[in-house]
Amino acid sequence: MSAFLQLLISGLATGAIYAIVAVGFTLIWQTSQTINFAQGEFVMIPAFFVLAAMKLGGLPFWAACLVGLAVSVFVLGVMFKQAIVDPMLKHGVLPLVISTIALSLLLKESAKEFYSSQAQPFPSLVPSVDLNLFGAVISTQSLLVLGVAFVTVGGLNLLLNRTRFGRAMQATAQNRSVARILGVPVERMVLATFVINGLLVAIASILISPIYLVKFTNGETLGLAAFIAAIVGGFNQVRGAIVGGLVLGVVDNLSAAYISAQYRGAFPLFLLIAVILLKPEGLVGRREERTV
Amino acid sequence: MSHVLEVRNVAKRFGGVTAVDDVSFCVDEGEILGIIGPNGSGKSTLFNCVLGQLRPTSGEVLVDGRSVTGMRPCDLNRLGVSRTFQLLQVFPQLSVRDNLILAAQEHQGTMLSRLFGRPDAGLTADAEQMISFFGMSHLAGEMAGGLSYGQQKLLDAAMAFMAGPRLVLLDEPAGGVNLTMLGHLKERLKTLNSERKATFVVIEHNMEFVMSLCTRVLVLAEGKILAEGKPAEVRSNPKVIEAYLGH
Repeated sequence: MSAFLQLLISGLATGAIYAIVAVGFTLIWQTSQTINFAQGEFVMIPAFFVLAAMKLGGLPFWAACLVGLAVSVFVLGVMFKQAIVDPMLKHGVLPLVISTIALSLLLKESAKEFYSSQAQPFPSLVPSVDLNLFGAVISTQSLLVLGVAFVTVGGLNLLLNRTRFGRAMQATAQNRSVARILGVPVERMVLATFVINGLLVAIASILISPIYLVKFTNGETLGLAAFIAAIVGGFNQVRGAIVGGLVLGVVDNLSAAYISAQYRGAFPLFLLIAVILLKPEGLVGRREERTV
Repeated sequence: MSHVLEVRNVAKRFGGVTAVDDVSFCVDEGEILGIIGPNGSGKSTLFNCVLGQLRPTSGEVLVDGRSVTGMRPCDLNRLGVSRTFQLLQVFPQLSVRDNLILAAQEHQGTMLSRLFGRPDAGLTADAEQMISFFGMSHLAGEMAGGLSYGQQKLLDAAMAFMAGPRLVLLDEPAGGVNLTMLGHLKERLKTLNSERKATFVVIEHNMEFVMSLCTRVLVLAEGKILAEGKPAEVRSNPKVIEAYLGH
């Protein structure tokens, strides 16, 4: 039982990170039909920004984190939209998707080329201590991740559902032309979702790096996990991404422990196939109808 | 006193096709002007030119004597000009109440007040009032996408009135709406017209609806004004009868 609890909590912690990344993924999909295949690399990169700020700028860790957040918002949020999404979206969704795949390669190779191909240690936000809870060993890391994820996702939910800003953003996602007529500054709302995504990936990056170390290949698994989480939960709903992320983290952890560690990587994919076959709109998603 | 809306020699050409050909008319405060005409006669194009969704090839549009030609729809909206749509245009995943609040919230405030101001922008009471005015109180919390077609049409109309406009352009408000709902809609529009002094321009195919609602009717055919006058005059005008039945 205690082993189960232990696996559950560490699974939820991993899942919470997947959820944060997947939420950003679905947000920019909803407002600008961007399927960002570089999302995994977007999580890998901010940790390098933080390390660079510490090494080159000589900043203390907390200040470097703030710099990392700011740079991520600017580069992965604003610049990504202005330099890649806006020019490519005119040509259709597929060219944009291919551009994001190219971007993922560029980011990965740049990190390797300009920083290091070796895994870098990353400072932790809290001292790593193992706590004993009902016989289960829980690390402070896991609790921190869960706490920060909870606050982040909760804050985002308040923003989307309890402010005029959120209402305007939802209107932009649901019917852009009418939103524009009613005076919603549609372009700024779309930009805001990219800024939010930049913030979310940076938070995920700072949370996950002390656990997995900073390496240029980190994005591969994370990007896939966020993509699967979004599909499992429901692509068109923020809460779908949250549910999908948590489910994925837990399934991953429990299946590795109780079924087969060797086939660990396969279980999320089994889950993906099952959801696509049985409930293609996702666990909490809504069916989408499109006229052709 | 200037007219609420004045359209001066507006023309719109798409390549070689002249959709609207030198159309001029005025609408005065408190009027309900109906625009009728066969399919393809340029009614919707004319609307889109007036509302800034299309820029007229030539001519001028004035609201309260001020030129608004080519002005963006959202700026026109701030000037008190709003519209409803021929094809449904509501926000399906927002509740009826939120649809109505959204329709008016952008008239005030800055980006900061969007974030930290009152979430409903102080508009909940207005929204509730509009909801009950249109007889939709039992639907206030429902997602707009779950409403019937007729109910969504009512919501669309209600949204057009949220910002307290002076001039509302309604594009086929009766299309696809059942008879009971239609009577309800007509009566609501008449009330808004008399109580709020709102001025309407209505495009509609349903003759019965136009004849009983409008104070004046304009007939468009092949992009030109064919006839203009009181509903009864227009109805008996031989040119109008020919335009509708002659081809």
